Amino acid sequence: MASEAWGRATETELIREAQKGSRTAFEALVRQYDQPVLRLALRLTGSEQDAQDIHQEAFLKAYRYLANFRFECSFYTWIYRIVTNLCLDHLRRRKSRLEEQSVVVDSSGGEMDLLSNISDERAMANPERELERKLLGERIQEALGRLTPRERMVFELKHYQGLRLRTIGEMLNTTEETAKNTLFRATRKLRTTLATLR
Amino acid sequence: MDCELAQQKIALFAYGELPDDQCHLLEGHLTTCKRCQEEFAAVQALQQAMALAPTLEPSANLLAQARLRLEEALDTMPRSGWLMRVQQSMFRGVSMLGRAPVAASALLVLGLASGGWAGYLSALRSHRPPAELPAAIAGPGTIANVTSIVREPNTENVEVHFNRLVPETTQGSLDDAQIRQLLLVGAQSQVNPGVAQNSVSLLAGECEAGHQCADGPVRNALLVALRYDKNTGVRLRALNGLKPYVAEDMRVRDGVLEALMNDEDATVRSRAIELLQPVEADSSVREVLHTVASEDDNPHIRTVSHEILDQSPQIQ
Repeated sequence: MASEAWGRATETELIREAQKGSRTAFEALVRQYDQPVLRLALRLTGSEQDAQDIHQEAFLKAYRYLANFRFECSFYTWIYRIVTNLCLDHLRRRKSRLEEQSVVVDSSGGEMDLLSNISDERAMANPERELERKLLGERIQEALGRLTPRERMVFELKHYQGLRLRTIGEMLNTTEETAKNTLFRATRKLRTTLATLR
Repeated sequence: MDCELAQQKIALFAYGELPDDQCHLLEGHLTTCKRCQEEFAAVQALQQAMALAPTLEPSANLLAQARLRLEEALDTMPRSGWLMRVQQSMFRGVSMLGRAPVAASALLVLGLASGGWAGYLSALRSHRPPAELPAAIAGPGTIANVTSIVREPNTENVEVHFNRLVPETTQGSLDDAQIRQLLLVGAQSQVNPGVAQNSVSLLAGECEAGHQCADGPVRNALLVALRYDKNTGVRLRALNGLKPYVAEDMRVRDGVLEALMNDEDATVRSRAIELLQPVEADSSVREVLHTVASEDDNPHIRTVSHEILDQSPQIQ
């Protein structure tokens, strides 16, 4: 508890310093959040290049609008609000171009082998099992691609990031109830889609 | 709890989002309802399948690249100088004062008193006879500044280096590069507000007519005028000049959003909303419209923001 309070106080000081124009303070804030931001962007876009673009755009927006941050919510919620909006824009643009992406691409545009990113120690112990996992991963990517951008976002933040639905509602500028309904629809759709893809 | 309600609650239950009392009711229902038991098992199977599949983690290289790119981008952003920081903090202070009437009244009284004292001092100074300039310094133009003073040792002699301002006149078309350059300088004139107003008005007119506003300096000048000029008419003029670029230029869009959020004049804020209507699908625009719809002091602006949001594509 004491360390949490100290952490929040330190972050508040950093924000105030950054608002006064301290680049060092802003970069310290970036370091605290840039990894989860990049992870979220990568998982939602499936592209290293797009993830980097979103990462950059999110923190540049934060830098530009930091003066407007009035501590009415946590900085974590605030920065995630920016990132989720950018990711939603990206997903909507992709949907409107009717691009389906069931594979993940690296920064040179080549298909990424998801197995190469696994931190599981047993990754190479059973090749057949790992192939099954890879195929399952592709099916899941395809099923996730069939969700609406909003459903995808809520599911991602709940299932993979473990956020509370109330927090997710705040980030997406909606209510907790709407977030709950969206999660319900997302899980239903995923189950149906995965069943048909077998 | 009936089946229809239970089916809706099962996903929340699986993700630990159901309140305790509803958990208890759902668990009771699940002991007797086979269909809902299957539904619950299916949600659990989904979670297990998700857990088995490989997840994407950004590699250390990707993170390093992203950080480097961000640093380079931050390096190219204009540094907020002390003037911008002072003005930003003034804007924040002014918006806080809106919620502190007592403090606002006290500040008003203090401001009036300071103004009165400054006027008294100025009147005193104006009655002193002006110092006569030695004949050697009299000449064309006024003295702009003194750059250095060097005293000859052990004497009363000093060498003073100074610059003069020499007035000049030129004329030409608004498309002429030199005239444009002078207008850009004029737009920032703090000595003569009339010059700044004229300059901004002419530049805005050029942009509205589509005459060579593709370059950064003209749009920058209009954005600065929109942000900092004290004259409402000038800010409105700058807004109108930026209209053709709201859809294509993110900086212009951000400048218009800033005006919508922070401009003290309702006419400027109303005009900003009109300019943003074609780009209502942009998430940043919707974010600002949500804020303005609930927080703006002007009822008309709140209403228009609501209307635009209602007309936006349905949120999924």
